[in-house]
Amino acid sequence: MLILSVAFVGLVALITAYLTRHYIFTLAALYHKEPTQQSDETYEPMVSVLIPARNEEQVIERILQRMTELTYPKEKFEVIVVDDASTDRTGEKAKIFAKNHKFIHVIQRDQTEGGSGKQEALNCGLKHVSGELIYCFEADYYPQRDIIEKLTACFKDPKIGAVQGRVTVLNEPDSLVTRLVALERTGGYRVDQFARSELELITQFGGTVGGFRRSLIEQLGGWDPDILAEDTDITFRIYLAGYKIKYVNGADCYEEAVNNWRSYWRQRSRWAKGHMQCAFRHMLPVIRSKNLSLREKVDGLLLLNVYFVPIFAALAWILGAVLLLFQPLAWTNFVWMFVPISFYSSVGNFAPFFEVGIGAYLDGRTRICCLIPLLFLTFLLNVLICTTAFLYLCISKITGKNRHTWTKTVHNGNGSRHI
Amino acid sequence: MGDDGDRVGHLQRRPNYAHMAVGLALVTTIVSMHLLLIRGLDLSALVAIIVFNFLFVFLLFPLEGTLHRKTVLLLVGNTVGVLWYIIQLSFTDAFYFLNTETFRVVFLVAKPLIDFVWIVAVWSISLSMLTSYKIKRDVLKKC
Repeated sequence: MLILSVAFVGLVALITAYLTRHYIFTLAALYHKEPTQQSDETYEPMVSVLIPARNEEQVIERILQRMTELTYPKEKFEVIVVDDASTDRTGEKAKIFAKNHKFIHVIQRDQTEGGSGKQEALNCGLKHVSGELIYCFEADYYPQRDIIEKLTACFKDPKIGAVQGRVTVLNEPDSLVTRLVALERTGGYRVDQFARSELELITQFGGTVGGFRRSLIEQLGGWDPDILAEDTDITFRIYLAGYKIKYVNGADCYEEAVNNWRSYWRQRSRWAKGHMQCAFRHMLPVIRSKNLSLREKVDGLLLLNVYFVPIFAALAWILGAVLLLFQPLAWTNFVWMFVPISFYSSVGNFAPFFEVGIGAYLDGRTRICCLIPLLFLTFLLNVLICTTAFLYLCISKITGKNRHTWTKTVHNGNGSRHI
Repeated sequence: MGDDGDRVGHLQRRPNYAHMAVGLALVTTIVSMHLLLIRGLDLSALVAIIVFNFLFVFLLFPLEGTLHRKTVLLLVGNTVGVLWYIIQLSFTDAFYFLNTETFRVVFLVAKPLIDFVWIVAVWSISLSMLTSYKIKRDVLKKC
């Protein structure tokens, strides 16, 4: 019983640490003045936009059309579409755009070399870029016209190695899943990313709607094909290399979110596995790093372990119940009461319900707040997803299988209705 | 885009400390009343009420909105909390009377979760009402 009690207290302490962290984030998002991001016409380096695309025929035209509408000077701008062994008309459609616009290029990967994941497609694209800065966009995204100017302005600071813009859900009214994803995004970007950037903690590069210095990504050796969460991996490699990542809240980009529970499960499973891989890989380097401040180390460790929290919360719940049934003590009851706060959290950043709510408030959203109690559903699902991902990684480690299958999210292009 | 139309970004940059102070005084009174007058209130219900009031004072009272509106929302929230507790209590009493051990165990395990359902729901609706007030005021200002 003593061991159980100690484990229970430890788990609750960990959950409390996360909740405190997110309470601080919430206050920071509420009361830190949002920096007014001014684009600087005197700083307009050559930029390259990488769009890895595999079977994206439903959405590829939308993003390429948008690329032609961006306000960044076209003579200092190139778009590279990496057609990653698509079996549909993605490459064909992209080539039509390339024919009409000189700044759009298409790289074709055939079935023998392509189709093994986004990281390999990005590494392939990296060989063809000529820009000083490289931006990444997913094929289903729809950015603001002046997004490149807003993001590029941050690179005037030589310490900034990468920038991240805001992701907002385009197809929010489609289903309950898209609405809940929109809530998660609100908490994750408007509060979490904003606060981490303003408090100079570890701002996460989200893998898309962002960019880096080309010299830095080359120095880091490109994207690691063995890691499923290439964004988290590159985030930590950038910080460990002594650079910072800046979040620009005003640089908005719309995404087509997963619209059913099956896709949600597949996408989150990949994120969970990838994030856990990163936790195993980067925890020690983060602790030992001389390039990170103490607050960055603490936040980095909390961020790395964020996908373990649903498992910890469920364990704390079970342990508390067992202790109460077999050894009912007042303190156990009192401590146990706090655990459910964490059950209304969005997974990915562990934004608790109050953080998500304040994000919606800051955005001036009213009705979406009423869906916050339903975050409990996604949390329950994520307990299963994270536990399965953890078991999968443990089994992979034991069996020595280090290459993991990349499950691609299917985009149906329905988001275009909301533009 | 999205069901609320365009997002209305704004720069609320200073907490309303006066409202927070009033909120804190109100909450202290409410919690004291629970402790002194309603002695039968069990620990989990008390914790739930304290958590709710804490969230209200530190995350809703500093926001834009009239003190009157915030106070009403706080009082309504506390009333819902007490009613929620009374409903729970009547269910437990009924099942204890029927002497079902299984229910006792299930209820014990699920109790904190049940206690939190009203907190999240009432807090979210209150926030939603404050936000709608702010949007309406912004629109009126623009007009």
